[in-house]
Amino acid sequence: MAASLSGLLKPWTPRVFLVRWSRYNPYYLEPEVRKEAYSQPESELSAEEKEQRELKMIRPIKAAASGVTSSVFSDPVLSKFINMMMEHGNKVLAREIMTQTLENIKKKQVEKYHKAPEGQKEEIECNPYTIFHQALKNCQPVVGLESIRKGGKIYQVPIPLSDKRRSFLAMKWLITECRDNKHRRTHMYEKLSQEVMSAFVHEGNVIRKKNELHKMAESNRAYAHYRWW
Amino acid sequence: MKYLFTINLNLVCHVRTLHTSGWGQQQEAVAVESEPEPFSVFRTQETDPACQSEKHLGQFYTLPSAHFRPLFPHGLPYRYQQQVKTFNEACFMVRPPALEVISYLKKADYSKPALRYLFYGVKGSGKTMSLCHAVHFCYTQGWVVLHIPDAHLWVKNCKELLPSSYNSARFDQPLQATTWLRNFRTTNEHLLSQIKTKRRYVWTKRESTDEGRPLGELVNQGISRVKSSSDVVGALMKDLRLQSSQPGADFRLVVAVDGVNALWGRSTIKKENKSAVDLEELTLIHNLKKLMKNDWTGGAIITTLSQTGSLYTPKSAYLPQELLGETGFDSMDPFIPVSVPNYSEKEFESAYLYYLDRKWLQHPQSRTEDGKKELSFLSSKNPSMLDRICGFL
Repeated sequence: MAASLSGLLKPWTPRVFLVRWSRYNPYYLEPEVRKEAYSQPESELSAEEKEQRELKMIRPIKAAASGVTSSVFSDPVLSKFINMMMEHGNKVLAREIMTQTLENIKKKQVEKYHKAPEGQKEEIECNPYTIFHQALKNCQPVVGLESIRKGGKIYQVPIPLSDKRRSFLAMKWLITECRDNKHRRTHMYEKLSQEVMSAFVHEGNVIRKKNELHKMAESNRAYAHYRWW
Repeated sequence: MKYLFTINLNLVCHVRTLHTSGWGQQQEAVAVESEPEPFSVFRTQETDPACQSEKHLGQFYTLPSAHFRPLFPHGLPYRYQQQVKTFNEACFMVRPPALEVISYLKKADYSKPALRYLFYGVKGSGKTMSLCHAVHFCYTQGWVVLHIPDAHLWVKNCKELLPSSYNSARFDQPLQATTWLRNFRTTNEHLLSQIKTKRRYVWTKRESTDEGRPLGELVNQGISRVKSSSDVVGALMKDLRLQSSQPGADFRLVVAVDGVNALWGRSTIKKENKSAVDLEELTLIHNLKKLMKNDWTGGAIITTLSQTGSLYTPKSAYLPQELLGETGFDSMDPFIPVSVPNYSEKEFESAYLYYLDRKWLQHPQSRTEDGKKELSFLSSKNPSMLDRICGFL
């Protein structure tokens, strides 16, 4: 619909513009945040990229969201996790919890590293980012269950999940597990770091939940043909 | 192996002084080549603060663990204590303010009244660490160390306030006094048995400490009898002050106070009728103020300003005039102000290499040039901000 109407659309913004919403007029283009894109010389660009650049000189650009940075340390998976942890729009607090979690993981691992004998030092993973990403990967389910109604009865049918859905489920489970099933007097960053460290070695409640989902899907294999998409 | 390593260090030292701009890159290359050697150019082998000089500026020296445990049961910033626990070693950076104060301490005339040094600077610039460096120097020289970790803790959040037995107008703080006495005993264990009391102190009808008893007994008396601990602190300070002033004294006294602006500020402690306690009415503060006057000889007074713990002061205040107030400045005058700035280029590089060496900077991007520039920009070379940012990277 936007394609057919783009001839009619002009660089127009309503008189009262709700800044926090992303309902921009489709005429507006996405901002380019990465620093590398601006340091490429003219000769290296292909024809399409040159066309894009020309277009960007004419068309208006959307304001960049507050969550994206051109910092070399920015990580889209981490930003998504912080957004999911955020409550009532308190991004400052969510980011603080995340940084404290990473610091806590790193502190424990580096302490272990410095106390370990020479031969075992290479086996200890000190990078909190690799630990976090690996733990999320370990928590992702392979198949999910969908309730499909057939002949008046509802069956739990195993279905393939998209990548986005899988990573969303892993992050959601991690957060709800830490919020609900831990001792109430521990700090969130402490709970999160414990859960992430156990997920890294395939232990803990989130991994257990993932495995139970897999077992349910395996037991309901017979109903797989109920899926029509 | 050890001799090979010392020769290499000398060669590398020459490289460092000649090529300061390309120092960073060359540094990385040297560290990679000399992989078997455990140390690099940002570290120095000189663990004795008395022997450190300008050529060690910006380098880290490791505190021997035999010195660390007795010297710093209190007094170090919390984040630094956690860092010591993680890295399994305590490293101080040799910086100009601390080196300056140590050189003055070496050259001062101790038959004249005690000199007062004041470290001041923006939040997180390293004032407490410079104070601890100077205190380490005094400890290695065998001085008696009277280190008050944070004077602000004595004027706020007091759980127990007893009316003083010695002077009914004043108030005692038994808990703070006993913890401080315990830490004082840990620091000065070896000297307490040698110094004797000069006067007779009567605590109650049945308890008294006679003249000529070792100071250790006085301290133990204060720790075991909690009610009279604040008076013990006062007696201890008076005794040490009088004894170090005498020409025949065989020890020197260093009084290290962190957050000295608390002594002339306000307090949030309330009496039972909800009126605020005046600072002169607290025994601990009263005795400490007497120590801060320069009417005694044979020692030095090293202090730090601190806005973070202070009460009723604006966040942007960091200069002595603003934080001490009129009364404080007049009492401390004349003093030697020592400014503690943020890291210079060289010190920043040194701190960055130290974190890399201790495996603290784990993010792959933090090892690139862009990452380093970003760290320098984000922290604006402030030591505590750099520590916080590197914590999660």
